[in-house]
Amino acid sequence: MSDFEVLRFLSFGRYLPTGSVLHRLDPRVRLTGAVLFILALMLCSHPATALLGLGLALVLLVAARIPPGYALRGLRPLLPLFAFVLALQILFYPHAAAIAAGSIEVWRWGPFLISAAGLLDAAAISIRMVAIVLFLTLLTGIADTTDLVHAVEGMLRPFQRLHLPAHELALVTALTMRFIPLLGQELERLMKAQAARGADLGHGRGNFFARIRRMLPLFIPLFLAALRRAEELALAMEARGYVGGRGRTYLVRLQMRPADFLALALVLGLAALLVFLDRGGVVYGLTFRL
Amino acid sequence: MHQPLIEVQDLHYTYMRGTPLETTALRGVCFTVRAGEVVGVIGPTGSGKSTLLQHLNGLLRPQRGSVHVLGQDLADPRVDLREVRRRVALLFQNPEDQVFERYVADDVAFGPLNLGLSREEVRARVRRAMEAAGLSPSFENRLTFALSAGERRRVALAGVLALEPEVLVLDEPLAGLDPRGRRELLALLQEWHRRERRAVVWASHSMEELAGLADRVYVLAEGRVVLEGPTRQVFAQSDVLARWGLEAPIVPQVLGELARAGLPVRSDVLTLEEALPVLEEVLR
Repeated sequence: MSDFEVLRFLSFGRYLPTGSVLHRLDPRVRLTGAVLFILALMLCSHPATALLGLGLALVLLVAARIPPGYALRGLRPLLPLFAFVLALQILFYPHAAAIAAGSIEVWRWGPFLISAAGLLDAAAISIRMVAIVLFLTLLTGIADTTDLVHAVEGMLRPFQRLHLPAHELALVTALTMRFIPLLGQELERLMKAQAARGADLGHGRGNFFARIRRMLPLFIPLFLAALRRAEELALAMEARGYVGGRGRTYLVRLQMRPADFLALALVLGLAALLVFLDRGGVVYGLTFRL
Repeated sequence: MHQPLIEVQDLHYTYMRGTPLETTALRGVCFTVRAGEVVGVIGPTGSGKSTLLQHLNGLLRPQRGSVHVLGQDLADPRVDLREVRRRVALLFQNPEDQVFERYVADDVAFGPLNLGLSREEVRARVRRAMEAAGLSPSFENRLTFALSAGERRRVALAGVLALEPEVLVLDEPLAGLDPRGRRELLALLQEWHRRERRAVVWASHSMEELAGLADRVYVLAEGRVVLEGPTRQVFAQSDVLARWGLEAPIVPQVLGELARAGLPVRSDVLTLEEALPVLEEVLR
């Protein structure tokens, strides 16, 4: 029983220092790689290419020595969202047009139609959502916040000439990510403290509204805790003489090595291949044209 | 001898079990609390103190081993945990952060209201609990956010005492207070114990704090009980304690040094008051 382990089911957003090959890549490559794969997946509309993307995510998770089972468990809290998107997708797909274009009619009830093409499309969308979440899990698993900040800042620095506050943007990213697990821990603490005083928390009994009502007394102390933390953080930064990015030197100087270029080329190639397969020909060649 | 109020046997607990981040907090802990006694739990940070305490009122369920509280097996899913939590009240570390109502009296009343008591009974309990926590009735309508941290901690204590528990479990109740706040809170808790004769479990990383207080002590380190027994016997073993990074209270330490230097002193002395006659004896 882990009634209160709020964070146990949150596997994305967690850094896993397994020291794999992927962990040793330049942080910019790690970030760009994940972003490129996610972009590629967003462009894929066919279930077969979406599946390929999913396979790629799993392979990379294994390469990063993150157990795929652990990554998949992180999907559990997102299932209701997935179901909702899926329902909308099936509901609003232009089934009649698809059937007119030669797709098979799967189900009909009065004016309501469901076409095989629509179902296939919905399948592709769910696979893509899963794959995208897995890529995010992978990214946060192989890059801790410091890595990501270095990556964001390193990549934005060329735009500083255009008055883009690269350092500040990177810092905002870092702080946001740092606060997610903190708030999770805080919530767990508060739930336990209230349960210890007889509050009916720590199980899923009761209907939706009853559960929301039980959560209400948690929000005030949670917000207060967040504000307090933010204030403490600001003070701590000022106490250490933080003045923003101006005139700052860096302990870690990012340097692309041959392996990093190779990895980047591989990512580019694979992402391009994914989109090409989706758009062009080969996969469509084997397609079940419905 | 009575049946113990709380009996923990061979308790194991791992956080984030089944994930790459799992960390084991308890590795086979046995622990008992009998009626009316004060049990100290001592250990360095990360020794598993808080994890153990959260098992005593069912916030955590045993993964391996057993926890029996007031005759009920907490591994049994049919046990009414709210009932257990009412009878075994737990005050968390830094409890002042968990005060959430706007007015002091409302926050203290949170527990009794959850018990479904009548309005009069809730009022009576709030008044009693606030008095026991050293808060005068004028605090009832004070805004909790405007209180000092020390005052908020007493509000949190009152909130727990209002449950009128059979066992009071305190996790580092004095941590982070200034010396005066510590003395006051210590006195309030001792007074409560003297009056109510209820069992208290008191976790701390400071042996000084437990020295004049606990009847028995458990020393936890790396998730195991490394020493246990009557307080003076445990604290006399300063060499074992030092091995786990714990410093024995100053009085037994000094007497231990004197004994090692060949002077005829007892080392099972805990407080300054007890040490005086011993030292006078030596000087004579």
